[in-house]
Amino acid sequence: MDILSQLIGGFAVALQPMNLFWALIGCALGTAVGVLPGIGPALTIALLMPITAQVAPASAFIMFAGILYGALYGGSTTSILLNTPGESGAVMTALEGNRMARNGRGAAALATAAIGSFVAGTIGTLALTFLAPSIAELAFVFGPEDYFALMVLSFTSVAVVMGRSMVRGFTALFFGLALGTIGIDTQTGQTRMVFGTLELLDGVSFTVVLVSLFAIGEALYVASRSGTVPAAINPLAGGSWMTRQDWARSWKPWLRGSVIGFPIGALPAGGTEIPTFLSYALERRLSKHPKEFGHGAIEGVAGPEAANNAAAAGILVPLLTLGLPSTATAAVLLAAFQNYGLQPGPMLFATNPDLLWGLIASLYIGNLILLVLNLPLVGIWVRLLLIPRHYIYGGIVVFALVGVWGLSTSWMDLLLMCGLGLIGYVARVYDFPIAPVLIGLILGPQAEIQLRRALAVSQGDWGVLVSTPIATMLLSIALVVLVVPPILARLRSRPKTEPAISTG
Amino acid sequence: MSVNPSRQDAHRKPRPWWLGLGVLAMGALWLNGARSIASTTNYIGVGPAAIILAVGMGLAVLGVILITQAMRGELVASPEGEEEAPPSRSAFLLALAGVSIPLLTIRWLGFPLTAMLAFTLVTHAFGSRRTGLDLMVGAVLGSVAWLGFSRLGISLGPFLPLIG
Repeated sequence: MDILSQLIGGFAVALQPMNLFWALIGCALGTAVGVLPGIGPALTIALLMPITAQVAPASAFIMFAGILYGALYGGSTTSILLNTPGESGAVMTALEGNRMARNGRGAAALATAAIGSFVAGTIGTLALTFLAPSIAELAFVFGPEDYFALMVLSFTSVAVVMGRSMVRGFTALFFGLALGTIGIDTQTGQTRMVFGTLELLDGVSFTVVLVSLFAIGEALYVASRSGTVPAAINPLAGGSWMTRQDWARSWKPWLRGSVIGFPIGALPAGGTEIPTFLSYALERRLSKHPKEFGHGAIEGVAGPEAANNAAAAGILVPLLTLGLPSTATAAVLLAAFQNYGLQPGPMLFATNPDLLWGLIASLYIGNLILLVLNLPLVGIWVRLLLIPRHYIYGGIVVFALVGVWGLSTSWMDLLLMCGLGLIGYVARVYDFPIAPVLIGLILGPQAEIQLRRALAVSQGDWGVLVSTPIATMLLSIALVVLVVPPILARLRSRPKTEPAISTG
Repeated sequence: MSVNPSRQDAHRKPRPWWLGLGVLAMGALWLNGARSIASTTNYIGVGPAAIILAVGMGLAVLGVILITQAMRGELVASPEGEEEAPPSRSAFLLALAGVSIPLLTIRWLGFPLTAMLAFTLVTHAFGSRRTGLDLMVGAVLGSVAWLGFSRLGISLGPFLPLIG
């Protein structure tokens, strides 16, 4: 009952005309960046970070949530019509969706994707509504050693799960951790790794790192490979609505996708990619039309799209309850909270209920707005794909410049943008994941604070790190995450020994 | 004597040992940084240099592993990149020029004109040859961004510093 009254209070915040306006802006922007390849929700939110100085927190986060959800809706449009996923969670949608579009069933594919996103987004938000307060209350018993263990688990799982290899994941993570150490040590006031540069005393800005690695690195990479012929857009055809058979084949995958997506999204490093892969595999196994897979099976669009959106709601659970980002977008949202001087976590539910419940309520409203924006108006979004690629990337660089220069008109930030942009390019070429850099940068200093706090309380006894069941369990899981994948890989790569044949 | 073609390919592929060397150098820099942090106070458990030391050691170890992987031919460009067109050095350099030009011009040309130049260089990196149109679009985009963000209270510096 308490949750319901809090949620009603949240709706009172989210339904204010100004907040509805920001939700609409966020949903439209999110859909646009989801449709356009090369720009993701993380980068968009980072570029809009300067407006946090002018806009009320509730309005800003309502807009950011619209961008997060909108990008997922928009990503499916590009996957289906262009076979180019606008964001990573839409990769599986491209497999069947683009085949459907080529077979003249693009409209049905877009419809099942949009309705599935709505259903899963709503189920995910319901789960977030009822689960988040309980987890937040649980987090009140966390001590500094538990938080430190949680962050170690987050580091380990992000480095292991993301990217092609563990070494690359950890290199990215340690690079982020290194950047996080630059500046003044908050506990002792000592300067660290500033190389005599005054501009580095405040540390390296999260926005500069994100914009440089994502936007500049991507622009350099795509420009250097711009000889590639852009993919052809499949025309929208086949009527604008799903047939009765399409509905019958879609509703179960929507529900299954939601059930898979939410809990995995809520795990550290769960993200949106793994649930969409799992949902696709499950639908393929359960389908009554398995031969259609690979040729345009509607279940292969409905399931992964639902999983993708449910996972996005799941990502908000560790972020809002524990202050733990599990994806690049969540890391940017955490940075946005910090810009307002707020720290997501259990205390935020107590100190800023209007903001948090307004944000959660806005997810319901945003889903509805996105359904309207994406179902009847999909033709408008498709037109965005007609913008020449050189204008899109030229625009990305200009807006990256706004994001970096607008922070503090610092020449050092521009220099960092160039250097980190080059690193982003190398990361793109050699497949180093970016998300661990961001999570290392934003969580590294917090992990250090918790470690030092725990050691201060225990008078320097390192045993404090395994002194509580929660910390011991979390560190054990981190160890399992670290050790099991290489063992499994070694077992898989070991050549099968032939049974000895007796010739006697 | 025939040579295994896949082994031949592995020999031909570039070995980016410099990548590992870069990570190792960064690790060394952080280790040196940890050494230079003054420890005038006795800290309980860990002091301000401890995390720098840990990060430096981690980077150094990862650098060595990356060098080893590169020498073994295990560190190669992403398969996605290999499927695409071969990289164009001139396009890359033009785009890099577009990204770097604000370092030289933003203080004395201002944001809108700098954005115009950066935009045009990047569009040329992507193969556009309509310089006049690109300059115009870049100038409009830069001016609109400057005006829009200024209205939001975000300073992007003076519009045209040369004329004050």
